[in-house]
Amino acid sequence: MKGQKFISKSAAQTKLLGIKLAKQLNGNEVIALVGNLGSGKTTFVKGLAKGLGVKDVITSPTFVLMKNYKAKHKTIKNFVHVDCYRIPGIELTAIGLGDFLNQADTVVAIEWAEKLPKKFKPKLVLNFVNTKQPNTRLIKIKSPQDR
Amino acid sequence: MNILGIETSCDETSLAVLEFSPKKIKLKSHLISSQVKLHAPWGGVVPELAARRHTEVIIPLLHQALKQARITPSKIDLIAVTGGPGLITALQVGVETAKTLALIWHKPLIPVNHIAGHLVSPFLATSSWPLANHKTTWPAVALVVSGGHTELYLMKSLGQQKLLGRTLDDAAGEAFDKVAKLLKLPYPGGPEVAKLAKNGNPAAFEFPRPMLNKTNYDFSFAGLKTAVLYAFEKAKKKPKTSGQELAANVCASFQAAACDVLVAKTLKAAAAAKAKTIIVAGGVSANKELRRQFMAQTRSLPAIRYTLFPDKEFTGDNAAMIALAGGIEANGHALKPYQNNWRRIQARSNWELW
Repeated sequence: MKGQKFISKSAAQTKLLGIKLAKQLNGNEVIALVGNLGSGKTTFVKGLAKGLGVKDVITSPTFVLMKNYKAKHKTIKNFVHVDCYRIPGIELTAIGLGDFLNQADTVVAIEWAEKLPKKFKPKLVLNFVNTKQPNTRLIKIKSPQDR
Repeated sequence: MNILGIETSCDETSLAVLEFSPKKIKLKSHLISSQVKLHAPWGGVVPELAARRHTEVIIPLLHQALKQARITPSKIDLIAVTGGPGLITALQVGVETAKTLALIWHKPLIPVNHIAGHLVSPFLATSSWPLANHKTTWPAVALVVSGGHTELYLMKSLGQQKLLGRTLDDAAGEAFDKVAKLLKLPYPGGPEVAKLAKNGNPAAFEFPRPMLNKTNYDFSFAGLKTAVLYAFEKAKKKPKTSGQELAANVCASFQAAACDVLVAKTLKAAAAAKAKTIIVAGGVSANKELRRQFMAQTRSLPAIRYTLFPDKEFTGDNAAMIALAGGIEANGHALKPYQNNWRRIQARSNWELW
């Protein structure tokens, strides 16, 4: 999917894109999500989690910064949802994000990833753009160099 | 029974000494050290900073709480500490302090769910405590609404609750904070939005009332936040009013939409459960417009006998509600099982109260 662009015309379509992307993951992956308020990042993560077999409701991690879920997937057992909206990414090590990086059975999705330290190397970077139409979003999937 | 309550789940360090009996409660001391100013530059609570500040102030607060209550450790019968949910680094400070005190003072220790604390917070007012054990009060439908939570519970009696629904994305308080950030208002944003809303027109913008017509008791605030974003950006480009008036109108219209949904869903659940009481607790329950709407709408419902809110000082995170919830849980039981509990207890950031 790398290098592709998608136009989503509804929250349901954004979620579906997340479900599709989940099918291409194997574990030990960090997905960086970049984009403004209301551009569909959390909606996308809801789809991603569903695609990985997470049964819980994915709620915004803005307040607690990080939430962990059990995934039900061939090779992926944990799904971690992180939010850098409020703080610089460096703080994330303090809440234990390090425990979930480089784990073969774990996928980490990070919202507001533009705030992450540069040394951070996500597998994919997704760029979410609000368009003029209230329900339409442009979603670009890029490699980390373009961040 | 004298209970020492300890709360450090987020950005308030709080200690309280509560004298508890089924007939009467008396809050002997209650201290809250807020970190709001410390976190303001970040627009929210920073876990590492919070933990360090909790560590600095918790022991001086403990001394002060005991002193104000005119009590020595030997007269404490039970320690109640918030075990979760919350920020793990923050929770650990309170939990480890409580465990250490339980060990060195040889006291029983009880971990309390933070939400269970909010649910009983309206009964901290000595005048409402008699209602807590009265048949005519129950069942109740309780809304816990704060920066981190938006949950609806059915309470059969005090300490007996079942989750009816909750937010599927953002908490209501989080939506207030995000709207505030959009309008470049200072942190914490909730009270600022409420302040501006007073001078605004709640009908200026027609924002969605998410999930209002769904049959379940779940909430959603992410879409409302996005609608506010689009409406604000659009209005800024073609200004009909001054910037100040626009911000006030956005705040008033957003607050009206959020309150509408919170009130309507709670009343719907209350009708279905044949509830006699409505409880609204948590940080957002301090919002005056929300209180006004609850009072106005429950007045016309004969089935609802009481509409209860915590006193202002107990709306935010506090140790008094933790001590009370601990007392309620331990009440009628021998305290022996809670002795040596410190060996087993750990902070649980995702502890869900279902």
